[in-house]
Amino acid sequence: MVDPLDITAGWLEEHLLIPALYQVGLMNWEDVSYGWALFAVYGAVQVVVTFAVCLPLERWRPVERWPDSGAVWVDVIYTVLSRVGILPLVTYVMFYRAQVFVTGWMADQGLVPPTLEGVFPFLLGQQVITFVLYAIILDCAEYWRHRLSHQFRWWWALHSLHHAQRQMTFWSDDRNHLLDDLISFVWFGFIALLIGVSPLQFPLLVLVLRFLESLSHANVRLSFGWLGDRLLISPRFHRAHHGIRAAGDRSCNYGAVLPWWDMLFGTADFARDYVQTGDPSGEEALATGTYWQQQMAGLRRFIRSFGRRTARQGM
Amino acid sequence: MRRLTILLFLSFMTLAGLTPAWAGGIAFIVNSGGASISVIDMGTLKEVRRIPALREPHHVALSPDGRSLLVGDTTGNQMMFLDPNTGEVQKRIPITDPYQLGFSPDGKYLTVNGLARNQVDIYDAATMKLIKRFPVVATPSHLAYSPDSSTVFVSLQDSNKLEAFDLRTMTEKWAMPVGKTPAGVLWLNGKVLVADMGTDYIAVVDPADGKVLEHVVTGKGAHQLFMSPDSKVLWVNNRVGGTTVTLDPTTLKVTRRYAIPGGPDDLDFAPNGKIWITRRWAEKVAVLDPATGSYDTIDVGRSPHGLFLNPRAPSPTVVSSR
Ligand SMILES: [Zn+2]
Ligand SMILES: [Zn+2]
Repeated sequence: MVDPLDITAGWLEEHLLIPALYQVGLMNWEDVSYGWALFAVYGAVQVVVTFAVCLPLERWRPVERWPDSGAVWVDVIYTVLSRVGILPLVTYVMFYRAQVFVTGWMADQGLVPPTLEGVFPFLLGQQVITFVLYAIILDCAEYWRHRLSHQFRWWWALHSLHHAQRQMTFWSDDRNHLLDDLISFVWFGFIALLIGVSPLQFPLLVLVLRFLESLSHANVRLSFGWLGDRLLISPRFHRAHHGIRAAGDRSCNYGAVLPWWDMLFGTADFARDYVQTGDPSGEEALATGTYWQQQMAGLRRFIRSFGRRTARQGM
Repeated sequence: MRRLTILLFLSFMTLAGLTPAWAGGIAFIVNSGGASISVIDMGTLKEVRRIPALREPHHVALSPDGRSLLVGDTTGNQMMFLDPNTGEVQKRIPITDPYQLGFSPDGKYLTVNGLARNQVDIYDAATMKLIKRFPVVATPSHLAYSPDSSTVFVSLQDSNKLEAFDLRTMTEKWAMPVGKTPAGVLWLNGKVLVADMGTDYIAVVDPADGKVLEHVVTGKGAHQLFMSPDSKVLWVNNRVGGTTVTLDPTTLKVTRRYAIPGGPDDLDFAPNGKIWITRRWAEKVAVLDPATGSYDTIDVGRSPHGLFLNPRAPSPTVVSSR
């Protein structure tokens, strides 16, 4: 029983990546390239599944209808870049080796990097349960990362790119400033030190998690009901986070997949109903610019954020 | 009637006793991308179960007393000790980044290459105490000893070098350029052979000073070398070309070429003459019949890397149903 997606990645590796690496004399990148092939294949499937489910949903009960939905296209680029393209490669190269290095250093000092399986030995071999527990921990970490990115001026300057979209769709999940992505990598790199279970081992679970994240941005009137909304984050719940009036540090509903952290830490708001999205405090390029115009506008806002201490508008 | 049954039973017992290799045998296949070790029944060529590893196991080595099979888990920073007869986990101990590992022929030392940490660690094989750590320029990947256990040779994958360490004085002897991306290392007739994954040849190196004496072309992405148990055939896996070739160990002439697609990596010899080869990107093991060139295929976990055959072990199918 071999996974067809793994076989696809293996085929890519054997017939495209390895011959190319061999040609240019970079065979020492072999392991990294295989990791990337796996990421890319699984990422492509995530995109296709998300597309296949979310598009009919958005057609069925859209929150908003736009005469010109041109601003959506840039989000498609963000999605492909981060799920299939270059960003997984960067993560892999930058953090894989760094992680081995740091955990190895800890083991040298006699510190065994703590793992859940170490604390609860019965988890060893129970990879699915372990991964679910880790996914919950990571979701909590994501809540705090996201919440803090709304608190600090410089961080909000970057994250506001994500909020600038007025035509929010299921493609919008991955629209982030590159520096913001970088911070996320470091953030999760540290947490992954303690965790280290490769998400590649659980492609189906990762697919579900990432699907829920995309779905939560979808332009669809969809709530999971009173109880359901309190178990998993629905499009209705996350839309409230993206509301115009909620931009900056007045926001609510910071969670990514589980609403539990918002409920626990007092930031949940289940009352806001299908609001308009966007961030009026940012320049227009953040919303409707091309990919690079958005990145540059985010960078300008980031630099400005260190200058002025006044004008906390939109924070 | 009963006597007949007993007789029949006894004759089965004798049969089983006469052909231990066919009564069972366990193959351990290390799934580096699946955090597990596949246990294969060598008789049926079926996967019986998977032993969970912590994160990313790669290579194996049998302890000198034959009682433990060591499996290095790199990102897990853990050495697993398995019972080579049953696959039971004997213990797990913390060790930094155990990528490649090998015991010296005299059984005194265990060399552990930390690929990601750029270090070569020499352990006391009996106590597993670290004796010496050699920091190296880049990514130590494979190793081989001189037969007198005085020297260990380590290929440094991301540099172009092979490095030699004197185990008597615990000092570095030399580090010399031997190719583009040095991989597998093997001692052969007073020389050291190094497979070069970045090219299509193996380098023949003088163990005294690391000078390259000649190149032998085997195939694109020459990766790892193995000597058959009877020392009559040298096997080389070519990663990029997807081939396994045999060489005459005295003349170093290629005698035969087999197509093994899917990134052939490690290899082991079964007593029936079959060659077991891990195919990294295909998630399979090939059981090659060298006479015909055809092979059986066993599905295993993701990115199978190291492997170990124990033909004398009882059938794991019986073990697991116990
Ligand atoms: Zn936000
Ligand atoms: Zn969002």
